[in-house]
Amino acid sequence: MLTLKIWIVQALFIFFTTESVGELLDPCGYIKPESPIVQLGSNFTAVCVLKEKCMDYFHVNANYIFWKTNHVTIPKEQYTIINKTASSVTFTDISLLNIQLTCNIRTFGQIDQNVYGIRIISGLPPEKPTNLSCIVNEGKKMMCQWDPGRETYLETNFTLKSEWATEKFADCKTKRDTPTSCTVDYSPVYFVNIEVWVEAENALGKVTSDHINFDPVDKVKPSPPHNLSVSNSEELSSILKLTWINSSIQGFIGLKYNIQYRTRDASTWSQIPPEDTASTRYSFTVQDLKPFTEYVFRIRCMKEDGKGFWSDWSEEASGITYEDRPSKAPSFWYKIEPSHTHGYRSVQLIWKTLPPFEANGKILDYEVTLTRWKSRLQNYTVNDTKWTVNITNDRYIATLTARNLVGKSNAAVLTIPAYDFQGNLAESKCYLITVTPVYADGPGSTESIKAYLKQAPPSKGPTVRTKKVGKNEAVLEWDQLPVDVQNGFIRNYTIFYRTIIGNETAVNVDSSHTEYTLSSLTSDTLYMVRMAAYTDEGGKDGPEFTFTTPKFAQGEIEAIVVPVCLAFLLTTLLGVLFCFNKRDLIKKHIWPNVPDPSKSHIAQWSPHTPPRHNFNSKDQMYSDGNFTDVSVVEIEAANDKKPFPEDLKSLDLFKKEKISTEGHSSGIGGSSCMSSSRPSISSSDENESAQNTSGTVQYSTVVHSGYRHQVPSVQVFSRSESTQPLLDSEERPEDLQLVDNIDSSVGNLPRQQYFKQNCSQHETSPDISHFERSKQVSSVNEEDFVRLKQQISDISQPYGSGQMKMFQEISVADAFGPRTEGQVERFETVGMEAAIDEGMPKSYLPQTVRRGGYMPQ
Amino acid sequence: MQAQLLWRTLPSLVLGLLFLSMPAMGSCSDKYPELLGQLQKQADFMQHTNTLLDLYIRSQGLDKNGLKEHCRERPGAFPSKDALQRLSRRVFLRTLDTTLGQVLLRLAALEQDIPKAQDLEMLSGVKLNIRGFKNNIHCMAQLLPGSSETTEPTPTSPGASPSPTPTLDTFQRRLEGCRFLHGYHRFMRSVGQVFREWGKSLSRSRRHSPHQGLLKGARRMQLSGRNKRLMPRVQLAPGSHRGAPGG
Repeated sequence: MLTLKIWIVQALFIFFTTESVGELLDPCGYIKPESPIVQLGSNFTAVCVLKEKCMDYFHVNANYIFWKTNHVTIPKEQYTIINKTASSVTFTDISLLNIQLTCNIRTFGQIDQNVYGIRIISGLPPEKPTNLSCIVNEGKKMMCQWDPGRETYLETNFTLKSEWATEKFADCKTKRDTPTSCTVDYSPVYFVNIEVWVEAENALGKVTSDHINFDPVDKVKPSPPHNLSVSNSEELSSILKLTWINSSIQGFIGLKYNIQYRTRDASTWSQIPPEDTASTRYSFTVQDLKPFTEYVFRIRCMKEDGKGFWSDWSEEASGITYEDRPSKAPSFWYKIEPSHTHGYRSVQLIWKTLPPFEANGKILDYEVTLTRWKSRLQNYTVNDTKWTVNITNDRYIATLTARNLVGKSNAAVLTIPAYDFQGNLAESKCYLITVTPVYADGPGSTESIKAYLKQAPPSKGPTVRTKKVGKNEAVLEWDQLPVDVQNGFIRNYTIFYRTIIGNETAVNVDSSHTEYTLSSLTSDTLYMVRMAAYTDEGGKDGPEFTFTTPKFAQGEIEAIVVPVCLAFLLTTLLGVLFCFNKRDLIKKHIWPNVPDPSKSHIAQWSPHTPPRHNFNSKDQMYSDGNFTDVSVVEIEAANDKKPFPEDLKSLDLFKKEKISTEGHSSGIGGSSCMSSSRPSISSSDENESAQNTSGTVQYSTVVHSGYRHQVPSVQVFSRSESTQPLLDSEERPEDLQLVDNIDSSVGNLPRQQYFKQNCSQHETSPDISHFERSKQVSSVNEEDFVRLKQQISDISQPYGSGQMKMFQEISVADAFGPRTEGQVERFETVGMEAAIDEGMPKSYLPQTVRRGGYMPQ
Repeated sequence: MQAQLLWRTLPSLVLGLLFLSMPAMGSCSDKYPELLGQLQKQADFMQHTNTLLDLYIRSQGLDKNGLKEHCRERPGAFPSKDALQRLSRRVFLRTLDTTLGQVLLRLAALEQDIPKAQDLEMLSGVKLNIRGFKNNIHCMAQLLPGSSETTEPTPTSPGASPSPTPTLDTFQRRLEGCRFLHGYHRFMRSVGQVFREWGKSLSRSRRHSPHQGLLKGARRMQLSGRNKRLMPRVQLAPGSHRGAPGG
């Protein structure tokens, strides 16, 4: 009771005291700002304002103010007296997060009195949130998380905002304990793109992250497949079939899977190749498993196109592959114990159980067979791993197989030797001695060795042969001797080789080799070689073998011949090139440029007649390359018929002949003066010759000519482009008449004389007549001529036109330019007859002679 | 000539800008095939009765005594598949948007008859899905060529009234709701088929030219737009898309 009274009195005292102190503690001033939040590293200024009442009471003003931070006086250098009542303090580069700032005055010269105090909170504005990502756990709502950036030291609020193109969703405010993630409160809507971003805000600012726009179905983390089960196959012991139930998300999206498995006792997982499980499925058969082995499986899934997240792993499920026949026979051995029965012995066969990976199942029993020499097989089924049997002292063959549900293993074979085995060994015979240690728990590893009771020299020597023979070396090879003829261990071989006249050389070769290369041999030499094999007891020679080294090494001949041929070719080419480049010089020295009268022709010009080079129709008509030499063929025909293609062919043929004959006629001095007398043929060479002989005298002959059966209204001028000096006789009408006569009567004596006279002026051998030389150079034989003639007649007969005949005439005359006189006579006569029959006016008849002539167009 | 063209295109441009600016929120995908695929998948999903009708039948006790037999679509409640296929793309989208808006209103009315909170939550999910579908329709409308054209009529669906007549008793109201939802699923199946045809024409046009399919759709739209004077004008109200998402 007393205690209660004391407590009440105390409480009343405190109450009243507090009331009075409230008035007493009315501050003398205040600080602005009241509760500042300042960015770290920035400047801050606080102002303390004294109240008038207090200033009067304590007789102080702003000069009396001093500042303290966390009870430490601030140097006066940071103060600024604003006026009588206000003083400020400035902080630069604030680094403390929480500062207690007080404004104080010194009263009565010695008493420090606190006027006001504030708390300065420092921090940083929020950084832009980064790495915003969202996940939709199947069956749950979307959760987004982000990296908030640096520490702000202030209370910072993160708000996750989301919207569709047509709709805004409610903000998702983070919780205090998970400020970097937020789970929205609406169910995700698949196949609708949503835009999401984060806003971070504190007292110093607000920032927004980058917006991300996605389809929530691409952020799904599916639930793992469930009800995973494993079943095996009796048909195949290496497979297990997994089945499972997919999560309901598969109604919206395709799934792909990871399937992992391991044996029960293994710790690492193997994985099915992902490409095999890249689409929605409900089962999968795993192959290449070991028989009768327990495997553990697990599975997970994700969206088929790889967008989104893998589900968690499913619960593990296990299964055992079906049995397979034992993959290996059990190894076994025997123990022989003496038997009480005479002639018999007790043999105990012992074997070990197969390990699981070889048994491939549960071993049901073992099958043992015993076979005595040439007797029947006896089968026994044993459930144990040992079996004792009484057998005779004969030699036996025992086999053992293990059997499981699927089948039997291969048989292991063991020979039980006869009781009286003495080892009747023969000399120089190779024996394989095998020793198998038998321990308490089974046989150890077997060791074998070859042995001879006594060695002897081989009964046959090795047969050597050549594998490859070179100029200075030969590779010899041989086969190892059969065991039957070795008679001992072959220690080494010796190769003996010699020439017919030389000494024999011996080379020792290790017994492990079957090949040896003889070097430093002489080329093109016969060698004899033989070989001996040696055991510890001696050697035996094999048959002798001969071979001859070649004279040249492989490729040596080619190495000589090819460069020589190349050099020869190169020299020839250089020579040809040199001749080609210097052909003008060579020609000048060997064949001076002598004008060739045979190249002369009658050029034609008429004011109303198209220039010769304008006869395009003809050029086109004879466009064949073979006609390059004959560009214009002036033909006077009775009608306007065009030549048939066959005609052109015949012309082509003749043209070829002409080329050949002209080639022969192009000798010194141009022996074919006669060719210029054919008035109806002009050659394209003429133009060239005219150009080549520029500077030489141009001959002009003015002739009368009609064009296409028309009587020329004007005079037609033809011109000789021969480089031969102008002859007086040509300008005389009587001489021209003589030329005309030649056309109609070859063999005419004056004509011959005329041409002889002309040609002789440029002939190097003026005493040889033109016709004689023509005969010499002409290569046209009679057969060719007859054949051509026949062709012409064949072609012309069906048509029978004068034009055709004219073609024949022209062609033949052209082809046999430098011909014999008789030939010319015969063909030209035919041509003239044709012209007369058709009533054509003769063209190119000289009408007028004008000095100077005309330049050919 | 140019001035005439300007006068023709200017109103369309202004209307188009207005249309585009109204939902000034998240951006639409500008990938036509992706958006078409989303619409297809949504329609395929929403056609299944287990997303809504089964829930309603179960919650209303209509799954007993052969009552299901009476739950058949009332003819004319929703546009038929043929009618939808005849529409131009733009009009089809508008029809779809309008019809789904009416479905949302009807679902809000049906909500009152669903007592279980769990079923209500599912129904909210369905409504959100429909709103998402409408969002994609809006985005698709923007992608179609000549998205500014807003003069085409939307065929009215007389039977898709927001709520049945109030004179019906409870059972009849439930049966009517069931029929309505039956029609809704059938309608969504038809919509999926139309979108599938769009996809086929897209893949065909891809084989020929990249934008041919879109242009073809635009041509169809323009052709059907020739009758605009004969039909009353109906315009989409994008503002109706706004609203708080359901939980």
